[in-house]
Amino acid sequence: MAADVHNKGGATWDTAKGGLAAVERMRSDRSDSPTPGLVEGTEPGAGQEHTMFVHAQSFEDLTADSESNPDAELTGNRRSAVGDSEEVQEGQGVELQGGSTGNEAGEQKQWAGQQRGLRPAREEDVTGEAWRAHRKHVFVLSEAGKPIYTRYGTEEALSTIMGVMMALVSFVEAEKNIIRSIHADGYRVVFLHKSPLVLVGVSRSSQSERELSRELQYVYYQIVSLLTLTQLDHVFRHKQNYDLRRLLAGSEHLTDNLLRMLEYDPGLLLNAVTSLPLASVARDALSAGLQVARAKSLVFSILLAGSRLVTLVRKKDQYLHHMDLHLLFNLVGSSSSFREGEGWTPICLPKFNTAGFFHAHISYLEPASNLCLILVSTDREDFFNLSDCRRRFLERLRRRSAYKALQEALHSPTYPVSQVGIPELWHFVYKSKSSGLYTSPELPVPYQGEEEHERLIRLYRYLHSCLHHPTRPLRSMYRSGNTENLFAWATSGFELYLCFSPLGTKALAMSAVTKLLKWIRKEEDRLFILNPLTY
Amino acid sequence: MTAMRVDVKVVMLGKESVGKTSLVERYVHHRFLVGPYQNTIGAAFVAKAINIGEKMITLGIWDTAGSERYEAMSRIYYRGARAAIVCYDLTDSSSFLRAKFWVKELQTFEEHCKIYLCGTKNDLIEADRSMRQVDYHDVQDFAEEIGAHHFETSSKTGNNVDELFIKVALDFSNSALELMRDEKGVDLGHKKDSYFYACCHH
Ligand SMILES: Nc1nc2c(ncn2[C@@H]2O[C@H](COP(=O)(O)OP(=O)(O)O)[C@@H](O)[C@H]2O)c(=O)[nH]1
Ligand SMILES: [Mg+2]
Repeated sequence: MAADVHNKGGATWDTAKGGLAAVERMRSDRSDSPTPGLVEGTEPGAGQEHTMFVHAQSFEDLTADSESNPDAELTGNRRSAVGDSEEVQEGQGVELQGGSTGNEAGEQKQWAGQQRGLRPAREEDVTGEAWRAHRKHVFVLSEAGKPIYTRYGTEEALSTIMGVMMALVSFVEAEKNIIRSIHADGYRVVFLHKSPLVLVGVSRSSQSERELSRELQYVYYQIVSLLTLTQLDHVFRHKQNYDLRRLLAGSEHLTDNLLRMLEYDPGLLLNAVTSLPLASVARDALSAGLQVARAKSLVFSILLAGSRLVTLVRKKDQYLHHMDLHLLFNLVGSSSSFREGEGWTPICLPKFNTAGFFHAHISYLEPASNLCLILVSTDREDFFNLSDCRRRFLERLRRRSAYKALQEALHSPTYPVSQVGIPELWHFVYKSKSSGLYTSPELPVPYQGEEEHERLIRLYRYLHSCLHHPTRPLRSMYRSGNTENLFAWATSGFELYLCFSPLGTKALAMSAVTKLLKWIRKEEDRLFILNPLTY
Repeated sequence: MTAMRVDVKVVMLGKESVGKTSLVERYVHHRFLVGPYQNTIGAAFVAKAINIGEKMITLGIWDTAGSERYEAMSRIYYRGARAAIVCYDLTDSSSFLRAKFWVKELQTFEEHCKIYLCGTKNDLIEADRSMRQVDYHDVQDFAEEIGAHHFETSSKTGNNVDELFIKVALDFSNSALELMRDEKGVDLGHKKDSYFYACCHH
C-alpha cells in the first residue's frame, strides 16, 4: 500500500518535468529569469532536487478518493461556468459573502487548540437557536447509527438526529443512488460513507459539496490516524454496535481543532504547507543536522515552528502526504502534552498506510520555544535511539550560527505584504505546485479579526473551487467587489490568489501579478525549501 | 554532553485524568498547571536526577495516557520498569478499580517491578472530607497484601510528592546494592535496553 503511493508519486514526478534536459536549462537561468515558471518544476519555489511530498499532477489526484466522485449532486443547482476565465461582478449569482452575516450566535470561538476550554460547545442545548445557528455541523456515526462525534453539543443529545441521518443514508444507498448531498432551505447536507464510518456535514455557507466532502475526508483520516483502519474494521466486525467513543476518548479536541484549521488555514485548502522564512544557508544547515542525526528506523524528521515547516528530511524514496503532515501539525498544535517531556506516541499516517502505526518522537527543542521536532519511526521500541538523535541534532545545532539565525527567524515568522512594493496589493497566497509549499504574507489590518480572516479564506476557497471545478475548471478569474478585488490564476507550475484594494483595476492586477512573481522569485531562497534532503 | 543515562525506569499508570501528568509536572518542574485538562497523547518521557546520600540516581519517568486507545500499547511503556506509580483519584472510586487492574497487569508481566499506590488530589479531600471516595485503610490493606507502598499526594499543593519519588529512588538504591553488579547505568543510546533490564534482574 505504502509502496503504491510512492511509485505513483515518483512516476508522475518524472513525466511532469517533461524531460530533464529542459529542466536543467531552465534551472540554470532561474535566478535571472523573472518569467513565471509555466512548466512545473521551474516555478518560483520549486525544489532544486527532489520534492518532499507525495507528488501528483493535480489537486484532484491529491484529494481524490477512489469512491468519491463528487459529481452527483441531487439538486442540480450548479453554477454555469463560462469558458476558460471569468469575470464576476458582485451580486452576480454567486453567494460569495455567504454566511458572513449575523451568525455565530453564542458560539465561543477559540483559534488555538491550546487555549480552548473544556469544549464549551459540548454543553450546548441541541434544541436551541444557538446550536442551529452554527455555520457548519459535522457528525460522525457508525454504520449501525451509533454516534461517534459531533462538533457541537453532545453525541447523546443528538442520537435522534443521528438516527434520521442513518435512515437517509440507508434509504438512498438501497436505491443504488449513493447519496452525497442534499440542498434545502439554505443548508447543504453532505454525506460521506467510508466504511465502517458515516460522516455528515451540514453547512449554511456557500461551500461546495466537493469542499465539504473533502473536509469530511479530513475528519475521517483524523480518526483513522488515531486508530488505524485495520483496528476500526476489526472492532466493528467484532461488534457492530460498538461504541467507538471509548477508543476515541480524549481525542474530540483534535477533531474540533482540525475543523477550525479547515476554516482558516489556506494550507488545508491548497494541499500545501508553508515554511518559516529563513535564509537558505541556515535552513540547509538545519537540514544537514537532521540528516546526520539519523537512526535506522527513522522515516521522517520534521522541524516545525508553530504550524510552519522549518525543514523536513525523509528516508530516500519515502514521501509524506500533505494530509498526513497536517494531521501531525494538528496533533502537535492541539496539545500541550509534548511540553512535559519527550512524547512517544503511536500514529497512523493514513495517506501513507491506513493499516499500521508509526511511532512519533515529539519534543520541543527548548521549554519556551515553539520549535518542535517530530521524528517518525517504524519501530516502537526505538524511543531511546530517537531521543539520542534529538540530542545529537541539538548539540550540533547549538554550536552553529544557523541556530542564531533560526532564533531570529522565529521572531518574524511572517512578512508584511508591503515588502512586495505594490500598494494596492493587500494579500496573496502563492503555491508552488512541485514543492507543495505555499507562501503568504501576514494578514493586513482589515482581515485581522477572526470573522474577517475567515471571510477572506472563504473568498479564496471560492476562487479555488472555480479553478478546480470538476467539469469546467477556470484558468484564471477576476472579480471586483465593494470590499476588495480578487484575482486567481493557475498554471501547471503554480496557483496564485490575490486580494487587492477595491480601488484598483483589472489592468493593475495583471501588472501586479508579474511584479509579485518577480518578487517571489527573488525571495524564493528564503520563503521556500529549495534543497530538501534525504537520509 | 554524553548520552543521557537512566538508572531506574519508573512508569506512571492509572485511569485517565487521575493526575499522573500533574504529579510528574510537580515533581520535575515544580509547578501545577491550571486550565483545561490536556490529556497525554501516547506517553511522555522525562529524566530526573536525584541525590540519594552520596549517589546520584537518574529516574527515567514514563507518564502514560491511561486511555483505552493505547492500552494494547501500554506494555512497551512499562516493560522493564523497576517502579510503577499506580495512581487513583481519591475522589473517584472507579479510578481505584482501574488501579487494581494495573496492579494485576504488573504482577503478571513485571514481577520485578515495585508498586507504589498513589491516591491523588488530596487537597480536595482536605478542603471537603465528604469528597473522599476511596478509604485510606482499604488501600493500606490492599497495599500490604500485594507488598506495595502507599501514598496520598496533592500535586496542587505539592504535599507528599517529593516524598513519593524519593522513596522510589531510595528503594532502588537499596535494592541496587543487593542486585546490581553492573556499575554502569543504562546507556540511553544502548540498542536493546530490554537486554539491560533483563540482566539486572538476576
Ligand atoms: N485539585 C487537584 N487537582 C488535580 C491534582 N492533580 C491533578 N489535578 C487535576 O486533574 C486533572 C487531570 O490531571 P492530569 O495530571 O492531566 O491527569 P492524567 O490524565 O492522569 O495525566 C487536571 O485538570 C488537573 O488539574 C491535584 O493534586 N489536586
Ligand atoms: Mg496525563
